[in-house]
Amino acid sequence: MRAARADWRYRLAIASRALAAAGGGYALAAGFTAALSLLLAQTMPRVEAVLTATMLAWLMYAIAAGWAFYARTAWGAWGGTLLPALVLGACAMAPQWMKAAT
Amino acid sequence: MNTTTVLPPPDAPRGAAAVATGTATQRSAKIPKTPNDREGFRQAMAWLHTWAGLILGWLLFAIFLTGTLSFFRSEFNLWMRPELHSMLRADTAQAHQVAQAATNAGSAGLQVAQKSIDALMRKVPDVTQWILHLPDERDPAVNILWRDTGNGRFETLRMDPQTGEAIDTRQTMGGDFFYRFHFELRTAQKGRWTIEGRWVVGVATMLMFIALITGVITHRRIFKDFFTFRPTKSGQRAWLDAHNVSGVLVLPFYLMITFSGLMIFHTLYMPAGIAATYKSEKGVDSNAYFAELQGEKAEQRVRRGPGDKVAPLPAIALKPILNEARTRWDNGRIGSVQARRDAKGRAVVEVTRHEGDRLQYRPPRLLFDATTGQWLDQADPTGPAAKTYGVLYGLHMARFADVGLRWALFGFGVLGSLMIATGMVLWSVKRGAKHLGKSPSQPQMQPDGSAATAPLAKPFKAPFGERLVTGINIATLAGLPLACGVYVASNRLIPVGIDGRADVELAWFFSAWGLTLLWALACAVVRPSRMGWSVPLGAAGLVWAALPVLNAITTHAHLGITLPAGQWAWAGMDLAFLVNGAVFGWLSWRLRPGRVRRASAGAAKAPRQVGPTPDVSASRA
Repeated sequence: MRAARADWRYRLAIASRALAAAGGGYALAAGFTAALSLLLAQTMPRVEAVLTATMLAWLMYAIAAGWAFYARTAWGAWGGTLLPALVLGACAMAPQWMKAAT
Repeated sequence: MNTTTVLPPPDAPRGAAAVATGTATQRSAKIPKTPNDREGFRQAMAWLHTWAGLILGWLLFAIFLTGTLSFFRSEFNLWMRPELHSMLRADTAQAHQVAQAATNAGSAGLQVAQKSIDALMRKVPDVTQWILHLPDERDPAVNILWRDTGNGRFETLRMDPQTGEAIDTRQTMGGDFFYRFHFELRTAQKGRWTIEGRWVVGVATMLMFIALITGVITHRRIFKDFFTFRPTKSGQRAWLDAHNVSGVLVLPFYLMITFSGLMIFHTLYMPAGIAATYKSEKGVDSNAYFAELQGEKAEQRVRRGPGDKVAPLPAIALKPILNEARTRWDNGRIGSVQARRDAKGRAVVEVTRHEGDRLQYRPPRLLFDATTGQWLDQADPTGPAAKTYGVLYGLHMARFADVGLRWALFGFGVLGSLMIATGMVLWSVKRGAKHLGKSPSQPQMQPDGSAATAPLAKPFKAPFGERLVTGINIATLAGLPLACGVYVASNRLIPVGIDGRADVELAWFFSAWGLTLLWALACAVVRPSRMGWSVPLGAAGLVWAALPVLNAITTHAHLGITLPAGQWAWAGMDLAFLVNGAVFGWLSWRLRPGRVRRASAGAAKAPRQVGPTPDVSASRA
């Protein structure tokens, strides 16, 4: 039987992973949708771009959630979801920032 | 990932997976025996599958079951308004013909539409918008939604297509309740907390999506399990087989239904793409997105405030409009006709093709000038992604399905409900088996500190959490079918004239469900008893089987009349209720306390089950 303290730490880590899967995963999926929509909108009508990106986003979400529970540590779960989410979010915001800069 | 690690960190869920999946694994054995990558991944996914499934499994079951019933939403709507049967009684064959002809946009259809609109104009001279649904093979009445405000609620008017007379029906939500509960957990006739409900359903849908994907990964013998069902093996094996068979058999259906469920509400759940792409100086132009999604022009979409005044509609040039629509659609069926004022105040008529004419939802619409009858536009998205989305939407709604396909989809839905139900029971059975696997010489191993007893000496009392899960399992898996039956029964039992009747029906539904929950908690948590499952299941069986009888006592739309007349829309419901009642009665009989005690005494060598979790070899429907 594991010591009570370790059990408590274990539960906290699981909760952290669950939060990473739900919140971090959503952030990743949303960033992915926004960035891919903008990218695809260069070559196809806007509505098509948004629909394509959104349909793929659910797969991204599922993959992110899977990762959150597969990562070696709870920190890895957060890093693996939030970092790409930030990068993708930055990509999605880039056109706006560039417009504001000029 | 490196494979040299011997001890995973304390928070590695792979250890937990071993706990969740291993049958006789002791709680201390959190370290996986084979820390190689493939197994580690599979175990992590198994763990995720177990917990994602458990957390919202009850909600998912409710969503799945009510969604399955919603395949017969029209039929429930009809059955729960027996007043509509009166228009069939005169001459069934002729009525059927009228219904058939009406959607075919022939002269009969024109007559039906014209008669209905004239009746509406007499009743509400300053109507500002109406949507007229023509009768078809599933709904023999003309349904008109109308309003005399700019942006108020629509009123419903039902008419006899032959006479154009309004038919007063009892106040009920009918099948619309199952439909609304399915996607927004509707608890009252007038919507409340609908956005919140949709979000909760969305979270559950996402978890189902994850549970499906991780379930496939967990499952190494997916093909073999098509053919594996061992009801006579130990309890847990049988439950696992049942879960696998019901899960694998129609897996494409589950993937389709969850994915399309997420996509149908993607503008609510995942608006990031719209926010990024439809950004303008004045904020996000979601109106443009919705217009393009439905193949309309954004500037034609009307956006009115609640107080905006709209001029009443002029006389409509119905004949040229319907003729033109028929020509353009090459004799396709017409589903509904709508008249309204567009953004510029011009009166327009929109003709919508019948939903049964194609897979893709929503059907194409033709726009006409209401007074001249001149064709203006066709609204129908043409892009490949929009069409894909439309097909997903259409597959989910199944409006295209004829009787055979509809029953097949209903069967898939039942299998899906079974998959969720067996998964939930499996969780309990597995937990129970784990306690049994423990050596009785180590009673201090109980996680909550309670003393474990020798497994077969007397009924084992599981930890509180597991008893709670069993209780909620009973309340959901047996209580919801019971509540649905009570809801349908209340439709015949509550006096017709009372105020807020539709909400009283819902009160019956939720009361029955709540009572089952109390019963289940008493029988599973407070004092574990085998009666827990059999009583609500038996009650459900009685209620469903009693429905045709209730129907015969209270209405003229009963089997004695509908069966000889071959009115299958009505008779089919009564017969299905009977079958359903028989299935639940059989389940209850199988789970009756005496039988299981004898069975487990005879099979003492195989530890079958613990506590009030049932051990049916086959499972519920």
